[in-house]
Amino acid sequence: MTAVMRTRDRRYYCVHGPVEHGGAMTQTTSFRPPGTPGTDTSLAIDVRGLQVRYGDFTAVAGIDLDVRRGEVFALLGTNGAGKTTTLEVLEGFGTRTGGSVSVLGLDPATERSALQPRMGVQLQEGGFVDELTVLETLQLWQKLVERPDRPERLLERFELDGRRGTAVGKLSGGEKRRLDLAMAVWGSPELVILDEPTTGLDPESRRRTWDAIHELQEAGRTVVLTTHYLEEAEALADRVAIMHAGRVAVRGTLSEIVAAQPSGFSATLPAGAHALPQLGGTVERDGDAVRVRTNDLQGDLTAFLGWAAARGVQLSGLRAAPASLADIYHAVRTEEQR
Amino acid sequence: MTTATLSTTTPTGRVLALASAEAKLVLRNRTVAVSSIILPLALGVFWAFSFGGQDGLPSTGAITTALQLGVVLSMGVYVTATQILVARRHSGVLKRMRTTGLSDRGLLVATVAPSILLGFVQLVVFAVFDAVTATAVPVDAVPLVLAVVGGIVLVVTAALATSVVTPSPERSQITTLPLTFVLLGGAVATSVIPLSITPFQALALVPGAAVGQLVQLSMTGETWSPGFAGIPLVVPALVGLVLWSVVFARLALRRFRWEPRR
Repeated sequence: MTAVMRTRDRRYYCVHGPVEHGGAMTQTTSFRPPGTPGTDTSLAIDVRGLQVRYGDFTAVAGIDLDVRRGEVFALLGTNGAGKTTTLEVLEGFGTRTGGSVSVLGLDPATERSALQPRMGVQLQEGGFVDELTVLETLQLWQKLVERPDRPERLLERFELDGRRGTAVGKLSGGEKRRLDLAMAVWGSPELVILDEPTTGLDPESRRRTWDAIHELQEAGRTVVLTTHYLEEAEALADRVAIMHAGRVAVRGTLSEIVAAQPSGFSATLPAGAHALPQLGGTVERDGDAVRVRTNDLQGDLTAFLGWAAARGVQLSGLRAAPASLADIYHAVRTEEQR
Repeated sequence: MTTATLSTTTPTGRVLALASAEAKLVLRNRTVAVSSIILPLALGVFWAFSFGGQDGLPSTGAITTALQLGVVLSMGVYVTATQILVARRHSGVLKRMRTTGLSDRGLLVATVAPSILLGFVQLVVFAVFDAVTATAVPVDAVPLVLAVVGGIVLVVTAALATSVVTPSPERSQITTLPLTFVLLGGAVATSVIPLSITPFQALALVPGAAVGQLVQLSMTGETWSPGFAGIPLVVPALVGLVLWSVVFARLALRRFRWEPRR
């Protein structure tokens, strides 16, 4: 059953492709108000036509990104979409083969040493000396990083206090990731770059990581993160870019992106055949289950409910929602596969 | 929030901090401690008893000294430095450290510094041992100092270069073997192959063999004696050391990788 629905979804997206800016009224319930009021609107990151090639392989095929100061920006995409490669260029570790990149007003390729004190980086994995204890790792960090901070504060903040004497190699995956994050936010840098900060975390640890990212945002810091998790982008990001195959497929605030996609409603009709009214959107029927995708949610929903009321049809499981990021993500991937 | 621009650390302080952490790790890791500290020391002392004698011949002292210096440079410094570099790259530590206030150069210096320090400590132990037992009596200290300093530069650049061609920590046990043998064998052989025979002076171009020639010169005192085309005997040895150090350094500079291959 699920498989059938999935196939239909794909076909649906294939037919429609990108849809014009439709319902500007569309809202989702999970949104935070974007940005902090009065935030500096200058750009923390300004990328134009970034291209990264390794021999014949193009990892990043000419992308533009702009991240405003004080915002949380999420780069979404599948494995191999070019997210990490893009971050590495921003961090000054990756070599670009084309385009211009400005991070906090500096070119990371040539001014990494000036940029580094103002930027905290969480790499995708590893980077620990397993034989050092948690406390020793943070104490060493204190001597190496130019921003002042205290190991005690971070042990407490990331709930690693009880593990201070444990060798890093003996920590659980979640604990390592927390230590990793503690090192990235050490001294509260102007810009924090997080590569998949919650991959492999349990829901509770993920929630803690989100809290830490919210804290950074409240302190006016700029955060760029990559993630596979759509709900993470929805919970954290002011704006997102969805990458696929080295390009940015979709970008904008979540409400912009969602508004550009059709919304939908679904309901289950009582048993027996029913002829549905004429609707503007696409109607999918699976037995008694009805699913409608439309750019005119209000109009179609009114028509549908009016039709049900007039015939005394008792609907169950009625649900109306804007396109979820999951729908959009799926649409992007399906679109590229054609 | 201007604290971000206030630096609480200094460039030298950062290098020292990482170097001392690395030194602590060498001592904490039993495998490294045995293979890098105990084994070279044991071999050096064993050889002193095997080859050393009270015969007072310059060649006896030269062989023992060359063996000791060779084992410290190869097993003590070269292998240890390569292993640490490869291990730190493999686990992503080098990459993470590049997000700190350390410069790339400072990061490399701090990573190899404990190996160098280890080598010096071992040499001091041998020097005291040889002096007390009268195993080796150098008549000229200059070539010996050149052998130690030049040898360390050679093996540290070689370690950087070897780390380039070593994909994983396990493989460093294999990739360090060729140079370890050439260096050890070359140093021992050239410490006694008479430099008075001109063609043998060219052996200085074998990597590490120059160390043995310098040891021989320190025992015979013929440092400045004319060799091929009237050039002092010390010169080919220095050329050999500098040449290979430059070759290794260039390879390392051009192809050094800070993170594991993905």
